[in-house]
Amino acid sequence: MTPTLRLSDISRCFQGIIPSIIATSDSRGVPNVTHLSQVYFVDDQHVALSCQFFNKTRKNLDENPVACVEVLDPLTLQAYRLRLKFLRSEKSGPLFDRMALRIDAIASHTRMSGVFRLIAADVFAVESVELVEGFLTERVNEPEQQVSVDGMRTEVRGLQFVSERINRACDLESLLTEVLQALEEYFKFTHTSVLLWDEAGRRLVTLASNGYGDSGIGAEVGLGEGLIGTVARERRPLRVTSLEGDLRYARAIRRESADARRTLAAEIPLPGLPDAQSILALPLLVGGRLIGVFMAEDRDPMKFGEWHEAYLEIIANQIALGIDRMLDRPDDVAEPVPVPKRGLASPSARISTAGARCRKFIYYKSDDAIFVDDEYLIRNIPARILWKVLGESKRTGRTDFSNREMRLDSSLGLPPVKDNLESRLILLRHRLQEKCPDCQIVSTARGRFALRAEASIELVER
Amino acid sequence: MLNQRIRRCLEAGASVLVATVDARGIPSCCRASAITADDDLKTVAIYLPVATSQQTIKDIATTHRVAVAATHVIEHVSIQLKGTACTARLAHDDEAALVEDRHQAFGEVLYNIGFPRRLTRSVVHWPAFVIDMKVEEIFEQTPGPNAGARLR
Repeated sequence: MTPTLRLSDISRCFQGIIPSIIATSDSRGVPNVTHLSQVYFVDDQHVALSCQFFNKTRKNLDENPVACVEVLDPLTLQAYRLRLKFLRSEKSGPLFDRMALRIDAIASHTRMSGVFRLIAADVFAVESVELVEGFLTERVNEPEQQVSVDGMRTEVRGLQFVSERINRACDLESLLTEVLQALEEYFKFTHTSVLLWDEAGRRLVTLASNGYGDSGIGAEVGLGEGLIGTVARERRPLRVTSLEGDLRYARAIRRESADARRTLAAEIPLPGLPDAQSILALPLLVGGRLIGVFMAEDRDPMKFGEWHEAYLEIIANQIALGIDRMLDRPDDVAEPVPVPKRGLASPSARISTAGARCRKFIYYKSDDAIFVDDEYLIRNIPARILWKVLGESKRTGRTDFSNREMRLDSSLGLPPVKDNLESRLILLRHRLQEKCPDCQIVSTARGRFALRAEASIELVER
Repeated sequence: MLNQRIRRCLEAGASVLVATVDARGIPSCCRASAITADDDLKTVAIYLPVATSQQTIKDIATTHRVAVAATHVIEHVSIQLKGTACTARLAHDDEAALVEDRHQAFGEVLYNIGFPRRLTRSVVHWPAFVIDMKVEEIFEQTPGPNAGARLR
């Protein structure tokens, strides 16, 4: 006799990795069958289905509120059948929000917002759960439990390790680098990144990454744009399994919509792994204030479970507090801001080397962007900081600067509070390292930095 | 003649789902191993694993109503056939090769989207029932604004 099953016993079936099936029937007894991208676990007596289009399934449920759903375990392929009774449609509330986040994120990523959206969360009572006997030739062995006592010890040690690295970090750059390395070392999260929220620019800017060939430092995402932008806007974590399946589904709708002659914009390329199958994105928050977004991705569609989400939320909170502490830290500048000594001979000599390569920096005022040797380098506030530093060096020969004098210069446009100056300098340093390694900004002490140029520099403003 | 779009959904490698309903209006579903169609799509033969389709066969015996969703998994192009079951019988031995080929083709499609062959090989597909179904209506089922449109 088949033992009685609880929905929580088959929780893997509700991760949306393998599409499910739903059968309904209208009042005349005409059946209907379709795929479902995900059945959402509500509790042991209830599931929810997403209503994205007013389709035949929806009409049938209004006429005859019963359904049969078949779900598959993604690790064993064992099938289970659920007998459901339709209870209600929720168009707001926590369940609706949780289901809508995933759909909104995928829709935004494929530029389908508005077309591909959650209309309602349809809630069903589960009247029975049955294992489909004979579906498999033999039962596939259950994989080992995710959390063992040893595993928990490792994870607690990991938390301790990450926490300790956050605490001892002397600057923002080392904090982010060490945390991402620790996550790889302890938890095998091999592809991770941190984006910081720039209040002035109203965008998220990638400030650290681990596991990618190209660092992606400086890559920007608007609020509400794509998976990351949606997490930032909603300030809620997002775990997407079987990403490729979701994207295929959304692209099918997009293709069908295009056939219907709707005008849709081009798709945003997914940052990071081109073949990512699972994504976990967590907002970095301090009190409700957005600090940034932490993102991990993997080629394994089962990489991130509910447990990882809960665990990484603890780490994300620590990262957020650590970043906030760094950004709030006063600069240690004991000495007064150096006054430029004007009139020195050959001011440009300090940043040029005889016979060295010449770097041509062009600042485009209308775009607020700097190009180096005709290649895009940086824009907005970090561009203004660099232009100030390069110009000052060219004019006076100065190479040492302080954070304080940047903050006092109103022409840079730094916000009066929470100016993120340190993160902007990190971004600037990384972009210079990538685009012109012979012209560097280096940290010399807390609150101080210097320009180190091994190339001669030409400045042009347009 | 079937148009290309419909034909793609019935090719080897397609996902085929079947729904039936009992006399009380309670629906049931199962997965089919294979589907074949005549040139005009007036009839189709649906192959269902005996092990997992007991309720489906019971329903057909009483109501004869059948719905079949056929989907090209990679492109998410999907159609739904609705009609009545004319006969239901055990598949003959000479039909085993067809069912095996279709099952393997579906396994390859799943392999290409990340599912190990050892898993799909373990899904039972033989012996099979065959339902000969008279197709009365065909609907577009590809997700999007045209879903539900009647194709025939």
